[in-house]
Amino acid sequence: MKSILSVGIDIGTSTTQVIFSSLNVENTSGYFTVPKISIVGKEIIYKGGIHRTPLRTSTLIDGEAVRAIVADEFQKAGFRPGQTDTGAVIITGESARKENSEEVLRYLSDFAGEFVVSTAGPDIESVVAGKGSGAAAYSEENGVAVVNLDIGGGTTNAVIFDDGEVTGKGCLDVGGRLITVDASGKIDYISESAKKVAEYVGVELRAGNAARTEDLSRICDEYAAVLEQFLGLSEPTALLAALKTPGSSEFILHPKLRAVCFSGGVADFVYGTQQDPFRFGDIGVLLGQAIRRSRICTAFRMIGAAETIRATVVGAGTYTTSVSGSTIDYSDGLFPLKNIPVLRLDEKEQSACFAGDGAVLRDKLQWFLRQNDCRNAVIAMDGRSDPSYIAVQNLAKAIVDGADPILPSAEPIMVVLRHDMAKVLGRQIRALLADKRPVISVDSIIVQQNDYIDMGRPLMDGMVIPVVVKTLIFG
Amino acid sequence: MDNNDLLSRIIAEVISEMGGNVPASAVESAVKESISSASPAPAYSGSGGTDINITTDITSKESKATPTLENPADMDSLLRMKSKTPARIGVGRAGGRLKTQTLLTLRADHAAAKDAVFMDVDPALLEKMGLFSVTTLCTDKNQFLTRPDLGRRFSDEAIREIQSKCVKNADVQIYASDGLSSTAIKANLENILPAIMDGLKSKGISVGTPFFVKFGRVGAEDAISEALGCKVVCVLIGERPGLATAESMSAYIAYNATVGMPEARRTVVSNIHSGGIAAVEAGAYIADLIEKILKAKKSGVELQNG
Repeated sequence: MKSILSVGIDIGTSTTQVIFSSLNVENTSGYFTVPKISIVGKEIIYKGGIHRTPLRTSTLIDGEAVRAIVADEFQKAGFRPGQTDTGAVIITGESARKENSEEVLRYLSDFAGEFVVSTAGPDIESVVAGKGSGAAAYSEENGVAVVNLDIGGGTTNAVIFDDGEVTGKGCLDVGGRLITVDASGKIDYISESAKKVAEYVGVELRAGNAARTEDLSRICDEYAAVLEQFLGLSEPTALLAALKTPGSSEFILHPKLRAVCFSGGVADFVYGTQQDPFRFGDIGVLLGQAIRRSRICTAFRMIGAAETIRATVVGAGTYTTSVSGSTIDYSDGLFPLKNIPVLRLDEKEQSACFAGDGAVLRDKLQWFLRQNDCRNAVIAMDGRSDPSYIAVQNLAKAIVDGADPILPSAEPIMVVLRHDMAKVLGRQIRALLADKRPVISVDSIIVQQNDYIDMGRPLMDGMVIPVVVKTLIFG
Repeated sequence: MDNNDLLSRIIAEVISEMGGNVPASAVESAVKESISSASPAPAYSGSGGTDINITTDITSKESKATPTLENPADMDSLLRMKSKTPARIGVGRAGGRLKTQTLLTLRADHAAAKDAVFMDVDPALLEKMGLFSVTTLCTDKNQFLTRPDLGRRFSDEAIREIQSKCVKNADVQIYASDGLSSTAIKANLENILPAIMDGLKSKGISVGTPFFVKFGRVGAEDAISEALGCKVVCVLIGERPGLATAESMSAYIAYNATVGMPEARRTVVSNIHSGGIAAVEAGAYIADLIEKILKAKKSGVELQNG
């Protein structure tokens, strides 16, 4: 058994967290078959504190203070910067503004091991939180559609898993710190989102005025009503559209949604009881109680979350890395590789390649490299589950004909497939190229057009490589 | 007394013996009602005939993926479960027995398994691949199945034929054999053999002349290894078929194989078929494995234990 040390760093609107986890990799197939290396265990070996995200203004992150928090957690966990094998920095919610992202990256760059990814954006957070909360695992184990609502300080990230697969994701500006209350019980800050809701329900809010529980409860009930609409439990109002987080996906509902799971800081107040509504100086407690009263908790089976406030950081630290198939082919000395854009061939284009015709690939690759202003790309396709040897030879020929004339010299030809056929394909491509340029051919990886891929150093006697698929990068 | 009256009386008696107190008339009317509400004379099939009105190939993948269980509580989940296993789940039942379609599918799969054992590999396939054929000491299929010892040995004449037609003292000698499934050879050999051979050649490893052994058991590779003086011998052989697939092939690989050596010295790669590991990918893997065996100068458990 071999383990990979992974770090997760989540910088959200209200909290910043760090965890370290160990991903255990093992051959799960028997003695008498082809090996199958999988991640068999994910163990969180260090859970850091829950820090308030340091801000310079009400929306601008204090990068230097974030760095101090992360440095302190590394030290407490007993790890040196750069010692981690993989992981993710996730900058989420209202913090995920471009200027914030750049600031954070600048300050954290030396903590990121050579293989740490940096991702941001509401869609990613939704998925990562849903994996960290255990909703994805529940969906897969029970074969049902589950929605995870990660209700943080600034946003509610929703994701639907059906049988463990993402079928919908979206984000609303609904969160616990959209109105904050100071120690003396006066309203301190009212977000744009809260202003819209207050106006909609006819409650007058003014910073500096005393916070009235009944007013704030009405606002929270309306937030809960918006979430009901979001989940298709009632007719959508104009408010639902107004609260959609800019840049988030259109949320596609699942026709057979069975269960709901809550994570994020507010989840603790949905699941538990918290007497003092303003203990945390915000509307998180009231919002949690309002959601608990709503139809969301009666219309769907409510399942417990494995992680609530830490769901995103746990998801980031443990669920972003996967391993390739165990029969792959690659030239030595290429890894790690970061942020390689994906050029995906559809079924028709793939069929042309399987027939030995590389012209389609050549045109598409040339266009793609020019469009994206990049030197190379991963050629991704489904492949076939039981191809004939002739089909593999044709495919190898098409890939070489398509990519070799286009790629700059010494750049590797990189192929990623879904079906288990990468070793034989890689071997064929290498034979055709006669070592003119390096080759990487891996499988059991599902990627979409416009994704990016990181590939780490080979593990387990070089049988597998760790892979991170990203839908967004910055920096 | 007609059957209905008799049935009513029996039910009433049973209920009263169990301590209940139901008037016989009430039972009688309930029985009559249930009989009259049933569709007329469903003498054979209770499911409107769909069970036995089979117009599709019931052994096809599509047919096997379709549940025959009526009114499942959650069809989506059932389909998902079925997609994860070739086991016959979600098939429903007729009373205490299998449905007709389930029974016929089982028998069809069993027939395919028997065919795999009893059929011979098509000589046209061997000719197309340029493989000559030799036979072990077995004279027919029945003897092959009942005398495993004869399936491991060759006549002197057969050994001479092998020696005269094959390159000797190669690093690796690969051959194919029917074993217990000729279907496995038909399904996989054309894809796996060139994948292994090309893989080995690209590594600069010399490969002997491939051929075919009829009525062969795994242990026949030891006699072939001795006859040809190869360092590594590899047989691609049909596995005993099951009801899930009749196409499964294995590769048994041994370093410096000798007649009578322990079975533990064989390295095996099994489950090569369209539902397991694809033949082409298995071929590329086996080429690497053989390279490893040649370097380590050992195979089987000795190789596993380092």
